[in-house]
Amino acid sequence: MSTPASQANADAQYWAEQMAAVALRRDMDCFMRIYDHFAPRLQRYLLGMGVSAARAEELVQEALLRLWRRAESFDPARAGLATWLFRVARNLYIDSLRGEPHWLPMQEGLDWLDEQAPADAGSSAEAFADHAGLKRAIDSLPPVQARLIRMSYFEAKSHSEIAHELGMPLGSVKSSLRRAFAKLQAGLGGVP
Amino acid sequence: MRPNHHLDAATLLGYSAGALPAAFMAVAATHLSLCQVCRERLRQADRIGGALMQQQEPAPLSAGAREAMRARLAQLPPAQPPVPPAAAAASDHDRLPLPLRPYFGETFSGLRWRTIGPGVHHIRGPRMEGGDLMLLRIAPGRSVPLHSHGANELTVVLRGAYDDLLGHFAPGDAADLDGDTEHQPVTSPGVPCICVAATDAPLRFSGWLARTLQPLFKL
Repeated sequence: MSTPASQANADAQYWAEQMAAVALRRDMDCFMRIYDHFAPRLQRYLLGMGVSAARAEELVQEALLRLWRRAESFDPARAGLATWLFRVARNLYIDSLRGEPHWLPMQEGLDWLDEQAPADAGSSAEAFADHAGLKRAIDSLPPVQARLIRMSYFEAKSHSEIAHELGMPLGSVKSSLRRAFAKLQAGLGGVP
Repeated sequence: MRPNHHLDAATLLGYSAGALPAAFMAVAATHLSLCQVCRERLRQADRIGGALMQQQEPAPLSAGAREAMRARLAQLPPAQPPVPPAAAAASDHDRLPLPLRPYFGETFSGLRWRTIGPGVHHIRGPRMEGGDLMLLRIAPGRSVPLHSHGANELTVVLRGAYDDLLGHFAPGDAADLDGDTEHQPVTSPGVPCICVAATDAPLRFSGWLARTLQPLFKL
């Protein structure tokens, strides 16, 4: 029987295999499977951030192009493919839409520092299991915390903007986000 | 360098979401470049972003997008191995943390400080939306007036150290404060304390010395 958790694990495993094929032999079919699944989701993400459809599509294409070029640097023990693509799309968004020309080199510098550090002790199989736990944790967030998380991640609203928009004190916005992060970290199997 | 004071979870989430004002991004990135603990926490926050992105309803791209992507890949020259960013290479003692170099230059020795009070210097960063970025240099053994903040202040120590009621802050440590915190840092003896700070509202001082130092934080 396929539980949501085992499904999430199987998904993560599946995408890791597609990426391995792209990295090893520039397998176009595997790449297009990744493209067909993730490009429309990245497009939705960027539209939500207020990016125009045409500009969003340029950024999606650029993100996937980077995936093709840098497939070797993808390490499934460190991050799932969804996370990897999220980071790339987020960085491209900040770089181009917020006019922060320093962002990409800075972020790539941090990524490089990460790659120098030893990988987590946990095997990649455990990382996949964590991913399923994270989905459960997201689904069970209290409504206010879920809303604040979504306003952060899908609308790129700063804490002050969220506080203003919802008429909440800034301190409450931040403490709710802290509690949400602790719950989601627990879902990841990390120490809250 | 193993910082003891870290970024607030709300700040990390904002960083991961691309939702922090640019000045806060730069200071948070400075701490991240010095703190493996927070880089690990950021990776967790990014996984949240990845999971949320994957849960999205797909939005169709334009009709030609798929073929355009294939055509682009077919035209690419063979992939080159990735080059590690030169700027991330081991830095000597005089170099600023990587994330600050675009705003303030390469080296501490090249900084052009402006005196704004006895023993206090600063350099304002370029104008940015949603918050201000600055470097501060305060002489050793000096007390900064008691102050609180209308909103958020994020500070990372680069050199020297200071103490306040929240503890001892040494290079790499982040003081991630919101509006309610009132504090009075005292710099440690020895070398001047150099910090980078982002604020999203002018600080409010309570005290007579404040008048002297107000220009320091008046933005």
